[in-house]
Amino acid sequence: MKKYAAIAAFGAAALTLAGCSSDGGTDGATDGATAAAGETEAAAAGDAGDMVVGFAQVGAESGWRTANTNDIQRAFSDAGIELKFSDAQQKQENQIKAIRSYIQQGVDIISFSPVVETGWDAVLNEAKAAGIPVILTDRSVDSEDDSLYESFLGSDFVLEGNKAGEWVVNEYADADSVKIIQLEGTTGAAPAIDRAEGFIDIIGADPKFEIVASQTGDFTRAGGKEVTEALLKSNPDVDLIYAHNDDMGLGAIEAIEAAGLEPGVDIKIVTVDAVHDGMQALADGKINFIVECSPLLGDQLVEIATAVYNGETVDKRIVTEETTFTQDEAIAALPERAY
Amino acid sequence: MSSTVMERLPANSATRGTLSAGRRIITSPKYAPVLVTLGLFIAMFVSGGVRYDNFWSPQVLLNLFVDNAYLIVLAVGMTFVILTGGIDLSVGSVIALSAMICAKLLEAGVPAAGVIAVTLIATSLLGLGMGLMIHVFKVQPFIATLAGMFLARGLCYVISEASISINDPFFVSMASTRIPLGGSASITISVIIALLVVAVAFYVLHYSRFGRTVYALGGSEQSGTLMGLPVGRTKVLVYVVSGLCSGISGVLYSFYTLSGYSLTAVGTELDAIAAVVIGGTLLTGGYGFVLGSALGVLVLGLIQTMISYEGTLSSWWTRIFIGGLLLVFIVLQKVLTRRRD
Amino acid sequence: MSAQLRNFTGSRVFWPVVILVGLIIVDVIAFPGFLDITVKEGHLFGAPIDILRNGAPTLLIAVGMTLVIATRGIDLSVGSIAAISGAVVSALLLNSPTPDNPWTVVQAVGIALILGFILGVWNGTLVAYLKIQPIIATLILMTAGRGVAMLITEGQILTLHSKPFEWFGSGFIAGFPVAVVIAAVVLILTMLVVRRSALGMFIESVGINPEASRQAGIRSRGLLLGIYAFCALLAALAGLIITSDQTAADANNTGLFIELDAILAVVIGGTSLMGGRFSLIGTLVGVLVIQTLVTTVYIVGIPPVATMVFKAIVVIAVSLLQSPTTNEKFANWRKDRRRPTPTKAIEPTREKVSA
Repeated sequence: MKKYAAIAAFGAAALTLAGCSSDGGTDGATDGATAAAGETEAAAAGDAGDMVVGFAQVGAESGWRTANTNDIQRAFSDAGIELKFSDAQQKQENQIKAIRSYIQQGVDIISFSPVVETGWDAVLNEAKAAGIPVILTDRSVDSEDDSLYESFLGSDFVLEGNKAGEWVVNEYADADSVKIIQLEGTTGAAPAIDRAEGFIDIIGADPKFEIVASQTGDFTRAGGKEVTEALLKSNPDVDLIYAHNDDMGLGAIEAIEAAGLEPGVDIKIVTVDAVHDGMQALADGKINFIVECSPLLGDQLVEIATAVYNGETVDKRIVTEETTFTQDEAIAALPERAY
Repeated sequence: MSSTVMERLPANSATRGTLSAGRRIITSPKYAPVLVTLGLFIAMFVSGGVRYDNFWSPQVLLNLFVDNAYLIVLAVGMTFVILTGGIDLSVGSVIALSAMICAKLLEAGVPAAGVIAVTLIATSLLGLGMGLMIHVFKVQPFIATLAGMFLARGLCYVISEASISINDPFFVSMASTRIPLGGSASITISVIIALLVVAVAFYVLHYSRFGRTVYALGGSEQSGTLMGLPVGRTKVLVYVVSGLCSGISGVLYSFYTLSGYSLTAVGTELDAIAAVVIGGTLLTGGYGFVLGSALGVLVLGLIQTMISYEGTLSSWWTRIFIGGLLLVFIVLQKVLTRRRD
Repeated sequence: MSAQLRNFTGSRVFWPVVILVGLIIVDVIAFPGFLDITVKEGHLFGAPIDILRNGAPTLLIAVGMTLVIATRGIDLSVGSIAAISGAVVSALLLNSPTPDNPWTVVQAVGIALILGFILGVWNGTLVAYLKIQPIIATLILMTAGRGVAMLITEGQILTLHSKPFEWFGSGFIAGFPVAVVIAAVVLILTMLVVRRSALGMFIESVGINPEASRQAGIRSRGLLLGIYAFCALLAALAGLIITSDQTAADANNTGLFIELDAILAVVIGGTSLMGGRFSLIGTLVGVLVIQTLVTTVYIVGIPPVATMVFKAIVVIAVSLLQSPTTNEKFANWRKDRRRPTPTKAIEPTREKVSA
């Protein structure tokens, strides 16, 4: 008896799941109603209203990534385009599965942020064979065959490292020796590798710059704090901390203050990202320089997707417009910052 | 309850005989969990088709195999270990290590056959090391394989911090060749390899002395020793088998992604353990099926497919959804297999 | 005295202590001022203090985990519970009009702790009443729980601006960091309760043979429920300390993989995953070993790509040294060298005997 009741209960649950509206699962406005509204606006928005885009996001591993997701979802819902969204929990195999599923579902455009550069040829060839164009965001793939994707929209991490290095060179133009601690991002992650490379490319030429220690803070505040705390004790006369993202820099600030020093004055800090908390610290003078890495790709992505859908050609490589910030620039820009 | 059902059975004794035999199979503690899982799998597939377009197509089912071939092999290896009452946490990192070794050696120009051989030997040796730690030094499997996990992952970083692309023609052809199965349905060669591994494992577990010893170890190691079974050798061998399966899985994974990446397959061991448990194997050892584990992998794959078709679940709702579905599965399995008195 | 020494060298905690001392020696060689503790602005300051403070959340979780493991269980969800706790307290404080009011903070902390306790009751119910295997039962909350934490923070990192709450992570009591004091108090209280009362014996009994315990009259199901609830409560407390330490709720990363560190600490400390006898002092040593290991990597400057291999080597070394087989060989070696002095009893190897 219990057994049949349990089967019935599960059946009911399954049907409820099948019947319930998609509102229960979303945080953005990407439900069916918007797609319908989009259709009535189809005449005004070109063919965009019927378009279905499949987006395979890396994950939600940081505030930056969530801002990226929110912006993309907002942009597509503003444009009235249906967006199928999946989260890969930072696993490449999950992204491959999602893309294959989108091919199966017959979406019009596939877009994704590759969690790693290598290994996409097989699934991208399947998309090509199915006639579905692919747009890359945030990071690129290293396929030799670049007909596998229409366009790559994203930052250049090496360039970000370069910009950080250039500021350091200018700032310490008159100094004799500069001791630097580098707070690396997650070992093996492309942004970490590239930002380190870009930085070294610029400062490596001059022997007065010495990276006395370089450890990973895993892109988190706690990591940045723990590493800085330990390294400050064994390297008390360090001049500068270069962190691969704002969060690690914020953690470093706490460690510096706990050691009785003044961040931004006794020890200068350079970071990448320009999230709100980082910009605030910059405005307060605790961080000295931030290189922006913008997650707000939504509108540009919608533009490219619509163009591709309508058969227009688009640029292969579109670099996100990013800038850098000093303290005054941060104070001026802070009120407008969206994330 | 049972008497009422018996009364309602047809008077024909032959039919009654088959029916009651069938009922005995369905409610037996050995088969019931797997059958329940199969039933729930079918129910989920049906509800998916009702809700989404383009879901009830053969390719969706075949994609479950294509996308999860490596996980099926992994779950097979994990089944061996769990049947003896142990556990192997290193499998995810070993996949990453295998793919990394393949990528690095291929980059250096070593021919594909040699690369695969070296990889399988390396992972089997790692499994042997863990097995020896567990049997000779009596280190607990959780800790020994945790150390294996750190070691494998660490070696990945040492071999290469950045990811390496695989361009070897053999690997590329393995990745892209599709075997058509009629209509637009097709599978990859990896699926065939995975199914072969399952078949071999099934044969070994159910028709060989090694397999019987594996089950006996899970039941009671002491009894096994008293019966004269080669307990020690078997205990070490299951970890070698797991290491070998992880290596095969890693090679299949490198066919799948054509790259070696040090941050890949983090947490995949938990997926393998979940698949094995969903498939009806008890973590205390002694009960379980390799076929059930393969089915468990398909269930996990189906959950992911449904989430992807849903297309609106944010990262956090995805996790809550997966946790919830896992809960439903486990609870229902428990409830439905509880012995009636 | 020599009997005590022999007891110590024969106990499972001996080798971890040796490894701990070894790591500290390596650190001092790399950085001679490693053990320096000075007083800055009225509180203690130095690398050892950092180790204690950074290890406090892990110790809290490991204490709860010790009791769970002693009952032959495991709790993989502690990291997610820590994340939920941090997310809840942040959401409450950010939505409150008076975040600097100590009473508001007390209320927010209380709610987070109660929620942690409830989640532990959930785990305990699945394990004790539905008889679901602990690794799977807690895996469910581990997956779904992190999702819940991210749902509360909507994936963002929520920065806190509440001075009273920051006290947990950055404040000091009698010169020691608050987190260290809290962890020490919890450890001592737990040790008192399990050793002075019959509770410790009941826990070990349930771990060794749940069925026999039940028949002997121990309410094993209620006990299990309580143990999982206690473990979750400590996880929630650890989450509060972590969140306060970084003055932000990061649902993604708070407590990520801390369960592995905790389990490792418990096992290094001598408690067996098969259940039964447990050692809270051993767990303390285990946590210190792990935290010192992390610090050694920074101080010595081990390149990040080699860190994992280094950790693996240390874990393998500790487990091999602790193994009964090594102890047997070691005892035999000592016996051969010091005849006719009586040898110490060799610890019987644990064989799993199913009920």
